[in-house]
Amino acid sequence: MAVTLVTDRAPRRKVGDRHHRGASRWIVLALVTLAALAMLVPFVFMLLNAFKSPGDYSSSGPLSWPSEFYTKGLTTYWTEVDFPLKFWNSLLISGSVAVLAVAVSLFNAYALGIGKVKGRLWIVGLFLLANMMPQEALIYPLYYAAKQIGLYNTQLSVIIIFTVVQSAFGTYLLASVLGTFPRSVLEAAALDGAGKWTVLRRVVFPNVRPTLAVLLIFFFIWTWNEFLIPLVMLIDNSTQTIPVALASLQGDRLMDAPTTNAGALISLVPAVLFFIIFQRTLSRGITAGAEK
Amino acid sequence: MTRFRKLGVAVVTAALAAGTLAACGGDGDGGDGDGGDAKTLKLWHYESANSAMGIAWDRAIQIFKDEHPGVEVQFERKAFEQIQQNAGMIINSSEGPDIMEYNKGNATAGLLSSQGLLSDLTEETTKRGWDKKLSPSLQTTARYSDKGVMGEGNWYGVPNYGEYVMVYYNKDLFTKYGVAVPTTYDEFTKAMDAFVAKGVTPLAEAGAEYPAGQLFYQLALAKADRKFVDDYQLYKNPVDFKADPLKSGAQAFADFVAKGYVAKTSASLKAEDMGTAFISGKAPMIVSGSWWYGRFKNEIKFNWDSFLFPGNKFHAGSSGNLWVVPTTSKAKGLAYDFIDITLRPEIQALIGNNGGVPVAADASQITDPKNQKLIENFNTISQQDGLAFYPDWPVPGYYDVLVSGFQSLINGSKTPDQVLDTIAKPYGEGVKEITGK
Repeated sequence: MAVTLVTDRAPRRKVGDRHHRGASRWIVLALVTLAALAMLVPFVFMLLNAFKSPGDYSSSGPLSWPSEFYTKGLTTYWTEVDFPLKFWNSLLISGSVAVLAVAVSLFNAYALGIGKVKGRLWIVGLFLLANMMPQEALIYPLYYAAKQIGLYNTQLSVIIIFTVVQSAFGTYLLASVLGTFPRSVLEAAALDGAGKWTVLRRVVFPNVRPTLAVLLIFFFIWTWNEFLIPLVMLIDNSTQTIPVALASLQGDRLMDAPTTNAGALISLVPAVLFFIIFQRTLSRGITAGAEK
Repeated sequence: MTRFRKLGVAVVTAALAAGTLAACGGDGDGGDGDGGDAKTLKLWHYESANSAMGIAWDRAIQIFKDEHPGVEVQFERKAFEQIQQNAGMIINSSEGPDIMEYNKGNATAGLLSSQGLLSDLTEETTKRGWDKKLSPSLQTTARYSDKGVMGEGNWYGVPNYGEYVMVYYNKDLFTKYGVAVPTTYDEFTKAMDAFVAKGVTPLAEAGAEYPAGQLFYQLALAKADRKFVDDYQLYKNPVDFKADPLKSGAQAFADFVAKGYVAKTSASLKAEDMGTAFISGKAPMIVSGSWWYGRFKNEIKFNWDSFLFPGNKFHAGSSGNLWVVPTTSKAKGLAYDFIDITLRPEIQALIGNNGGVPVAADASQITDPKNQKLIENFNTISQQDGLAFYPDWPVPGYYDVLVSGFQSLINGSKTPDQVLDTIAKPYGEGVKEITGK
């Protein structure tokens, strides 16, 4: 992302230096192109093998060109895992988590970053620690807690867990951002008679909106890709998410590479679409800090 | 840009609103099936729909429905990994199934049975005669002691199918190079010499996964008796790794590598690579299990066949996965009825006719000659009580020990003696932990 910004801006500002910078610019461009190609290689393999029959894959290997355009892997995956349902489950969980976690992060960070809380450095550090804990360590306590309160095997349990996990990171990040919020603005608002709630709504929120948008997108994508906690908490097929469905293609001793590739392809599409739609917001949010 | 953002906000808000609703809905219907006389049977397994077991069990569900009008079967096909990782947590809750397929072995079914999570099936087994349909070596994996060690004790599971390791060979390559199909161990090595002389590596192997350990075990079993298998697998007596059969097995494995039967480069290959090397017609032979059979039948275009590992009375193999009934099952009677149906000749024949290995089948009911051969060979092993299980079974975590041990034997970084040392230590420690001796 940062790289594209550089190449985007360089010509406008450094017009006079063009001859000087010529060579290095081309080298950078070549390196970026190479890196981009290297990133694309796995996707190309996935595409190649998603449209290959299992027999074709086994006898000619993963590198060969498919001998026929084979779409049964795609349809098998679609119907066998009931993809529309899994898609809806994933969307539901990720969407709810993204919105809730951003809201919780904002409230936490408002208290920690702008309000005067004693020992806030420690509190922020604690939040970060919660985020760094490996999920394997959390899974048993979470399982027993969910079972006790009757939320085991419900999507609500996953939504609550990830709202907390993601907002831990969000709180850390936003608290640092709000820690540098200009005091004069806040004081001016206070002089105008604005209460804490109004300050949050009218002053702070509009200013950090780009950052919140970025957090929203990150939370959505991170939650979308989560595997372990949904695998443990959602045991009915009707509640499961896409990554868990993808795992059902892997057997005990056998694997079906073409169908797995087809499944990965279908499962990737929503995330890519989501990214394309929100891509503008994303780059705007990242540059938002830099403009001021 | 603004429009996109508004769209995004709308989508997310809608999802959020629906999420709260759906979550509430999910809360409400958690508690049905508590009624006592069960009207539903929640059934889980993880075989793919077009596999032998998948097809046969679909039919078994159909028969069950016909015989139990008014009972609803809630079948779900699960991910292997989900059951493998979470079975204990799932059946320890009220959300688990009434009957499910589960992995056999000490670390899986044995562990759960020792934790009291599986129903004791002994009474039903004798009442319904399941013990008469299963040979002794198949029963080994169905019965577990109170410590969860397989072999004897109560019945906690019922297998439906079996599996065993054999030699698959490419008939076309044998004809092309003029090599005779071996029937004894001597002929087997001569056949491999013949391929090596023609510049062909006779055996595809996979050092990074289970195949290498299984080949070693097959070679060791050439000089083994039932006592060795009981000692090694069921801890009846201490096992000496520096004596035959393990010593001769490791030596034979090293010879295989030295003589070029197995390529040194296969140290880092995976089972899938080995399988595709055979399917693509590059490798004349592989030593592996019956789980490949269905796939080979569907995908291989040349003539191929299989024979039992030459000269062995004992072969790596066991019963397949088990039907288990969790202690939390709300429909135990129905679950037993279902297990009974899966052992009927009709369902067993269906497993056999679709490329699986039924445990209680009449070979004459199997129509396809290839499938017939698979089952005849299995019945041969089963009748001479020749299932020796798998080398990585005895102690938890032993799979990785064997993989790294035989990887270093294939790439020549260790001598057979050193490899035996490295695999003997974790075995001894693991057995001590289990038996307390």
